[in-house]
Amino acid sequence: MESRDKKLEIKNICKIFLNKNNGYETAIEDVSFKVKENEFLVLLGPGECGKTVLLNIISGLLKQTSGEIYIDGKLSKGLNSEIGFVFQKLGILPWLTVRDNIAISQKFAGVKKTERYEKCQKYIDLVGLKGFEKYYPHQLSGGMKQRVGIARAYAGNPDILLLDEPFGKLDAQTRYSMQDEILRIWNENKKTVIFVTNNIEEAVFLADRIILFSKQPMSVKENYDLKEMKRPRDYTSEDFLKIRKEISDRTDLVIE
Amino acid sequence: MEVCTKMTKKTKNIIVNLLPFISIGLFIGFWFLVAGKPSSIIPTPYEVYLRVVKLIEKPISHTSIWGHVWASTKRVLFGLLLACFFGIPFGLLVGWNKKFRRVFKPLFELIRPIPALAWIPLLTLWFGIGESSKIALVFVGCLMPVVVNTYSGVSLIPKLNVDVAKIYGASNSQIITDIVLPSSLSAIMAGISTAMGTGWIVVLAAEMISAYQGLGFLIIRGSNVSDLALVIFAMLLIGLIGSVLSSLLRFLERKLCPWKVEIKN
Amino acid sequence: MDKRKIKVQVNNLSKSFGELLVLDNCNFNVKDGEFLCVVGPTGCGKSTFLNVLSNLIEPSSGEVLIDGEKSNPKKQNLSFIFQDPSAFPWLTVQQNVEYGLRSKIKNEKLIKEKTNKVIEIMGLSKYRDSYPGELSTSAEQKIVIGRSFAMQPDLLLMDEPYGQMDINTRFYLEDEVIRIWKEMKTTVIFITHNIEEAVYLAERVLILTNKPAHIKDEVEVNLPHPRDVNSPEFVKLRKYVTDQIKWW
Repeated sequence: MESRDKKLEIKNICKIFLNKNNGYETAIEDVSFKVKENEFLVLLGPGECGKTVLLNIISGLLKQTSGEIYIDGKLSKGLNSEIGFVFQKLGILPWLTVRDNIAISQKFAGVKKTERYEKCQKYIDLVGLKGFEKYYPHQLSGGMKQRVGIARAYAGNPDILLLDEPFGKLDAQTRYSMQDEILRIWNENKKTVIFVTNNIEEAVFLADRIILFSKQPMSVKENYDLKEMKRPRDYTSEDFLKIRKEISDRTDLVIE
Repeated sequence: MEVCTKMTKKTKNIIVNLLPFISIGLFIGFWFLVAGKPSSIIPTPYEVYLRVVKLIEKPISHTSIWGHVWASTKRVLFGLLLACFFGIPFGLLVGWNKKFRRVFKPLFELIRPIPALAWIPLLTLWFGIGESSKIALVFVGCLMPVVVNTYSGVSLIPKLNVDVAKIYGASNSQIITDIVLPSSLSAIMAGISTAMGTGWIVVLAAEMISAYQGLGFLIIRGSNVSDLALVIFAMLLIGLIGSVLSSLLRFLERKLCPWKVEIKN
Repeated sequence: MDKRKIKVQVNNLSKSFGELLVLDNCNFNVKDGEFLCVVGPTGCGKSTFLNVLSNLIEPSSGEVLIDGEKSNPKKQNLSFIFQDPSAFPWLTVQQNVEYGLRSKIKNEKLIKEKTNKVIEIMGLSKYRDSYPGELSTSAEQKIVIGRSFAMQPDLLLMDEPYGQMDINTRFYLEDEVIRIWKEMKTTVIFITHNIEEAVYLAERVLILTNKPAHIKDEVEVNLPHPRDVNSPEFVKLRKYVTDQIKWW
């Protein structure tokens, strides 16, 4: 019971940066929350509020100024093979094929080529890229590149999946299709997911639970439990619009 | 209207493809004009042609034209290869590793401004006046651009690619071979291209000072006996070989970095 | 009854590139001062559509008429706002807004008058001597909007300029566009993939099919600006357009 409730625990995380004027800038003030196992958690906040910083801290790429992160009850000290990451700017290596990109975690682990390719085929199929194994990134559309990023994260067989505004650069319609995709993939292959976005509609469509953050210095503003909302959700249903408006009114307006 | 535009497009294409030949033709014509004047010291293209025929019958230094071409080219290629062999890993380490950079970069920055030709006395004393000193000179000349371009390339690697490697479990050495090297590949190719240009300059200078074979040697030989036709012929050969090698290098870059070319398209 | 006269006429417009038919017999009119949005599915050929409308490329058949004459960017006053637009960083706000005007009008007084009007509407009076780099992203976008509207073009074409932006900034800028459009009464064709944006802005929405693209349907949006995305009328229109395009 304990472990199901607390797959991941973020405790009093604070991050302060030295900014260009040699002053101190508090990106994250004091953030604490828990994540349940196999929950689809969405971190929502206005643009540039610090959500990416928080995600980088959780993944181990960045060190926090203070606070702790616990995974399965154990203190996390940095990079962790339990965590997969889908980056906002993709980070798909242009000199590798789709297959090699997806199999990269296996390559670094020293798994032989044929074995790697075998293991990763199911992830290529999972994201609907069957037949594109030998293509190079520049031959793919935006949506397809995103899928490579997602398959790559899945191929490492992580327990926790972090996604940093993965659909931000896509046009509105491709975005809708990818939202359907990610839910389908997640349903077929349940993981604990933390999904960062600044798009309220996207958050309400995807989340089991939404944590709404303030603008910088970032802190938790509100928690929305959407577990009861039936899936698949309808962007234009009354319930949906009601929640969307509620969250929209509560969001800090930041016009950059 | 459609048919008309199609036809002019076809003729346009033909003209565009003929342009390089037209410009070379014009150049040769201009050359004839200038050289044809009685007061001119420049040999006409025909005179150069005659000189080439004579050269084939009576080779200089018992070496055929190809022999001279290969003598110079060989020196450049060996020097360049050595420069890459040592320069690329060195550049990668300097670019990537802070400690290494702190130790070696200042030293390198001190040596860098010294032109390769200034090394001639030192290298001649060390290696003598044979092949090895010339190759050593080319090595020095090529080393600088290769190293500089390599470590600049490393500094321009998107941090994102490194983050990806870290997240997916790469060790430090894996990061260098699998991320740093491919990411800097096109900068390295640019360095090699520049180095090749420098290599040629250096080899010709070295040959003009002391050699019995090579294109630079032919130039100095011709100059010593006022055989301008020979000089011009050697210059033309240098231009030709230089552009062939550059094309080969570009071809190599296209093969090694196919993704870069696509992005340009 | 819309009493405005017809500004733009598109008759039997088709465009193919070799074997590929991209636009297939498009027919529509745009009234003077109308705000028209065009939506289509991803990959429907909207860039080609825009390029042919502005005569940057020749249509394969058919014609585009502005005020009864063939569309010609050299003769007529056409203005564009493309994706990810930016102001000229080396010019001040004032100079940026004047920029387009200078190529069409010689009268200094008139230029200053028109520029000042636009700067005021956009709320940029305080910043008129600042450089775009000193201002926020949304302020820079307002400069771009102001610059295009200041020219009082015969036709303003906008190609999904806010696609990459933060949702809040996006709605804010869309409101700004509507505000200046109402003041300047410019004829606008705004092309986007975002259906909610199209319904939010347009007086009328044209729906394109996938390649070969033709006009599938036309929807009037009779709601007052600024629109409420939660209102049942808005939702109904949005659903209707979505159903026509939905491929996902």
